[in-house]
Amino acid sequence: MSTTIVAATQPSADAERNLAAQRAKVRGFVIKLIVVWVGIFVALGVGFKVLRFDMSFMYDRLGFIIAGIEYTLLVSAAGISLAIILALFGALGRLSRNPIANGLATFYVSFIRGTPLLVQVYVWYLGLPQIGQQLESLGLTGAQKLLTLPAIPAGILALGVCYGAYMTETFRAGIQSISKGQAEAAYSVGMTPGQTMRRIILPQALRIVIPPIGNDFVAMLKDSSLVSVMGVWELTYRATKMGRRYFRSLETLTVAAIIYWVMCIVLQALQARLEAHMGRGERK
Amino acid sequence: MAPIIRVRKLEKCFGKLYVLKGLDLDVETGEVLVVIGRSGSGKSTFLRCLNFLEEPTAGTIEVDGVVIPAGEPSRQHRSHIQQIRTKTGMVFQHFNLFPHKTALGNVIEGPVTVKGMSREKAIEIGERLLGWVGLMDKRDEYPARLSGGQQQRVAIARALAMEPKIMLFDEPTSALDPELIGEVLDVMKRLAREGMTMIVVTHEMGFAREVAHRIIFMDDGVWVEEGTPKEMFEHPQDPRTKDFLRHIL
Repeated sequence: MSTTIVAATQPSADAERNLAAQRAKVRGFVIKLIVVWVGIFVALGVGFKVLRFDMSFMYDRLGFIIAGIEYTLLVSAAGISLAIILALFGALGRLSRNPIANGLATFYVSFIRGTPLLVQVYVWYLGLPQIGQQLESLGLTGAQKLLTLPAIPAGILALGVCYGAYMTETFRAGIQSISKGQAEAAYSVGMTPGQTMRRIILPQALRIVIPPIGNDFVAMLKDSSLVSVMGVWELTYRATKMGRRYFRSLETLTVAAIIYWVMCIVLQALQARLEAHMGRGERK
Repeated sequence: MAPIIRVRKLEKCFGKLYVLKGLDLDVETGEVLVVIGRSGSGKSTFLRCLNFLEEPTAGTIEVDGVVIPAGEPSRQHRSHIQQIRTKTGMVFQHFNLFPHKTALGNVIEGPVTVKGMSREKAIEIGERLLGWVGLMDKRDEYPARLSGGQQQRVAIARALAMEPKIMLFDEPTSALDPELIGEVLDVMKRLAREGMTMIVVTHEMGFAREVAHRIIFMDDGVWVEEGTPKEMFEHPQDPRTKDFLRHIL
């Protein structure tokens, strides 16, 4: 049997028809998806009506609640910065062959990840002053003053230390994902282990851990609501305070939830842009 | 003249796996030594022991007057390893270029970080070396945008930037597409002609025949046979050498 080779200059009518059907299917799915989302919002609107949501109350108190964004962002941004620094040292400790560094890092990760963040918040805020008091009575003057933290620093410490422990594992995985050949190439030109880590491994590892750091930041933004228990005037505190006063908690909490949600959407969009930016050129 | 590399009773174990079984070797300055043998015979491990990417389990390595006996890593031991590494350049099978640095950035990394050379001076050297391997036009490209052959030539320039006295090549063409092997071998041939001391682990028998002063056939962690290319290819003595050459040629 001979093979005839006839090159077509354009897709056949059959191919065109199938392609069109495929496109229609994708388009149909997108349209249905939009309908579902619209449906959800309509249902919510109806629900608000049935539950006698006081929309004008929500609107009036929006300004009061939204003012809490400042503290929410402050605590989250400072918290994530602290967490990144701790995670960097934590990861180096976890990978270290020095038993002290390794032991400290392992304990840090295990203990912090094994205890609730809310408990940690209370320890920083309520437990620490007690330690200060004890130390003071043992003759360390100034200890109590030093260890009695205002709510905001205590919140930043609690969030930073807690997320630092989780991020330690992220950083460690990032460092370990860099192939051994990179370190070997650096050693082969005479670089020390420290130089290799600083100049070759970490720059590559940090690029890899940017997406998970972004996720952690979004998660921390929401966990920052826990500092409301110390009376920091951030979003959640303002929402609950206003809600209790007028017995309109559902309204004020809904407002707070929407604000958190919008902030997260904005942050995720920023993160996507950052990743696209970092992904240019250097990587395949 | 005293040999520039002197290896005595080198042994290497990976756990219970006995890989190098007491190797001796002298390499003269300017010599091109090619090590051949089956995969898993210990060729790469031997090469990696020379600059301590693998710690020898026993024996002594001497490179250009720096003597290191195998043993526990003391401070002095580590500083000696550092010295040996600045005297030897290494080229890897998988190139191992730094992906976050440009071609030039890769080449000047060693001089700037290890030798503390000024950037201007390092760039001068780096550009000369990139020109020497024929990649001056790729100066500012990142490795991901270079072909395998180009990456390997940058890797050679990176190793040469430290002005090593010895170059170690660990299967430098094994990861390359066939049409790219030639350009890397050409650079290696030029290096040999300029008198560089080279130890090359390779399966490129054409290169071995043309460039090597001496070929060693390794099998199961020991030297089986050594000789000039003519002796090795035309009159191999040991049955294992004969068998290996019959399969590869």
